[in-house]
Parts: sequence; C-alpha cells; structure tokens
Amino acid sequence: MKYPYFPGCTLYTKAKKLDDAGRECSQKLGFELDELKDWTCCGATFPLVNDYHIAMSGPTRILADTKARGDDKLVTLCSVCFNVLKRTNHVMRNDEERRAKITDFIERDYHGEVEVLHYLQLLRDEIGFDTLREKVVKPLTGLKVACYYGCLLLRPVKEIGLDAMENPTIFEEFIRALGAEPVEFPYKVECCGAFQTVHSMTTATRCSHDILRSAKNSGADLVITTCPLCQFNLDDRQPEIQKSHTAFSAIPVLYFTQLLALALDLPAAGLGFERNLIDPLPLLKEKGIVS
Amino acid sequence: MSENLLDKVTSESGQAIALCYQCRKCSAGCPMVEEFDFPPNMVMRMVQLGMKDELLKSKAIWMCVSCETCGSRCPNEIRIAPVMDALRAQCLNEGITPADPVTVALHTSFIESIKTFGRVHEATMLMTYKWKSKNFTSDLDVGLKLFLKGKIPIMPKKSKNMAKIKEIFQEAGK
Repeated sequence: MKYPYFPGCTLYTKAKKLDDAGRECSQKLGFELDELKDWTCCGATFPLVNDYHIAMSGPTRILADTKARGDDKLVTLCSVCFNVLKRTNHVMRNDEERRAKITDFIERDYHGEVEVLHYLQLLRDEIGFDTLREKVVKPLTGLKVACYYGCLLLRPVKEIGLDAMENPTIFEEFIRALGAEPVEFPYKVECCGAFQTVHSMTTATRCSHDILRSAKNSGADLVITTCPLCQFNLDDRQPEIQKSHTAFSAIPVLYFTQLLALALDLPAAGLGFERNLIDPLPLLKEKGIVS
Repeated sequence: MSENLLDKVTSESGQAIALCYQCRKCSAGCPMVEEFDFPPNMVMRMVQLGMKDELLKSKAIWMCVSCETCGSRCPNEIRIAPVMDALRAQCLNEGITPADPVTVALHTSFIESIKTFGRVHEATMLMTYKWKSKNFTSDLDVGLKLFLKGKIPIMPKKSKNMAKIKEIFQEAGK
C-alpha cells in the first residue's frame, strides 16, 4: 500500500530522525510513504481569525496537490503539520464561503476530498495495532514509557477528531503493541510552552519541568512525542531545568518512530540517538533493548 | 470604552463571547497564565466591557500560544485562542506597539523564511529573529549544540515552487 506523505520542513532538518525512522518502519510494516513533489511549508500555524486567508493558501495547495495525484489520503508525522492540514481541510469541507475565496485565490479546485492522517492514526486505523503487535520482532519488555501528546495532535477536538482531549489513549495502545508499558501521568496533554521557548527561558523551563517531573513521578523511564517542538522543549531544555531545579534528574525524550524502529529490530546505530541531548542508550542497554 | 469591540471581536473570532459567565475554567487550566497580565477569563470580561486600550496594549494577547486547552474545556464552547488572534490582529492593524514585540519578531521572521525559500530554514530564520528582536546573546549555547548535533543545516532547501509562492504573497499584499 502506498500513501502520499507530507514530511514538512522540520523533518528535513531538526527532526530528521522522526522522518527517517518513520519511513524505514513503514517498509517493515508493509506500506510505503510516497513523498509529495515540490511541497511547500504548511505555515506551521493555523489562522484563527475568519478573514485571514493567506495562511490557509499554503496548506490548501498541499491538499489540492494530493488530490491532483489522484489520491484521497495524506499522511503526516509532525504534530504541527498534521494540525494545520487537518484544520484547513475542515474549513474546506464545511465553510463554503471561505473555501470559495481560498480556492479562487490559489486557482485550484479543492473541496476537502483528501483525508489527513497522522502516522499514529494510520497504524491504528489502516494497519491495526493487533497487526503491529504481530510484526514486532523485539518487544520492548520492561520499558516504562510516558506518552506525551501535547496540544496539536489533539486540539481542537471537533476539528482534529483523533482522540479524546482529556484522556486520549491512542499513544498508550501503540506503546502496548510494542510490548512496552505506558505509565499514566496527569500532564500528558499539557502544553510545553511551544514557541515561547525562543524568548522566554523561564516559561520554557517551567512548562517542560512540570511535564517531565510528572512523567518521572509516575515511574517513566523515558518520554515519547510526535512533535519536533515538544521534543526540543522537553529534551534540549533539560540542562536549563537542572540549573533551576537541582533535584531534577535527566530523562530521555524520543520520537515515537524511534521506539517503533527498535521494536521492529532496525539497527539502533541508524536511529540518530546521538542527536538526542539526553542520551537514551545507557537506559536502552540497561533494559536489554539495545546491546 | 469602545462599544464596538465586542461585536468586532465576536465577528472576527466567530466566538460567542457574550456567553462567558466567568466560571474561570479557562484560567484554571491555562499553561501560560503566569505570564499573562490579565488571565483569560478577565480578557473575556474586558472584551464584553469594551476595554479596547487595555486589551490591545496587554501582554496576555501575545503570550497566548493557542494551545486550545481553554477552548476544549469551556462549558459554553467559547474558544479563546481565536479571540486572542482577533485582538492581536487589531493591535497590529491600529499601529499600537505590541506589549511583547519579541513574539511579533519571531512570527515575521518565520514568514520571511517562507517568502524566501518556500520552506522554513531554521538558521536564517533565527538570525533574522535575532536581528529584529536585538536579543543577540540568548540561547547561543543551545543553538551551537543543535548545530553540532547536525539538527540545523547551514544550507537552506528551497522549494521548486518559488514563482507561485511569490505570486501568492504579492496577491495577498494588495
């Protein structure tokens, strides 16, 4: 099975390993991610005021390109791209006036025909977590994982519709299929501080510290995420957290595709763990997952 | 006092702001409330009362990251993120100096990167941001670490659709 795939800017740079591992795993799982040609940025922010149309012209072009290929599904891995594309599609399907304005503006014919899928959703709804469990070669037994959703994968629920807002479970089901144990922690849908990290260190460390402390107190060995910005805030901000909270001890923060790759027995050397600020290898070796 | 603020923001955000009855569920769950000068429930009341000056000069409208937690929990299904966006737009349209110009600098640097490359290139975007915000020293160590770990490539990857992107920005600017 071949799925049209939109990687997005960050998956070519900072979050290359989210992308690499996702593509490699797809081969093992029997489907192919077919990257759209000449894609542009999704805009990274969904415009919230009714008369701001230019920000939706980018994502609408991406969706119209998918339709023009003759496809009716589009897969993304990044929470931000998923959020922007999914919400733009919601407008294209339900708001006739805005759809007419935007499609006239970009001179394309698009009515929301494409279904935007997050990779996790593809695993759940198209492949099935039971099939995934059967394809796991190396179960991640004994690994306690905090599944961190953040905001963009879930909210607003009416437009995104991936899972429940207060207590989603898709990530935990995924982790169980890999043979690891998800921990329940109350901050799993809390915001990481998002782009405010760029200019307010105190905001970024406060939000990240709350989330990581909550995960650790629930017994997690590591945290997983689908979002490049959350991964930055939770992983790369840990040295700053340690400066202001001396009792805090480091915890690795991985992309979910990196764990998926380990469970499918892809070589750890190719999974880019050296790019994680908090090195997960000592933990993975201790658990017998990586030799 | 501005009598039109409630109508204007209601129409631009598409939110039934008049329904807010101050249960404060939004402020209880807001991850950014510590950085706000007015908590979200107060922003809503100020819109109802037409306190335009105070709102457009507030820090709250710029510190909101649109995480949509408040909107997901509101018993009257009012989403505050679009309300904040409408207030931000009004602040810029009226030429008022934003209480937090640094956030504006970040957003405009991002847009410029897309105008130039069609995609986001972190290195040039962050350099533009540093220049605009005059905030030269913060995060240099983190930036260096990211660079050394190969997470920030030096050369941008340009979209092949640049002509179309230029056209869109030109049309939008009219």
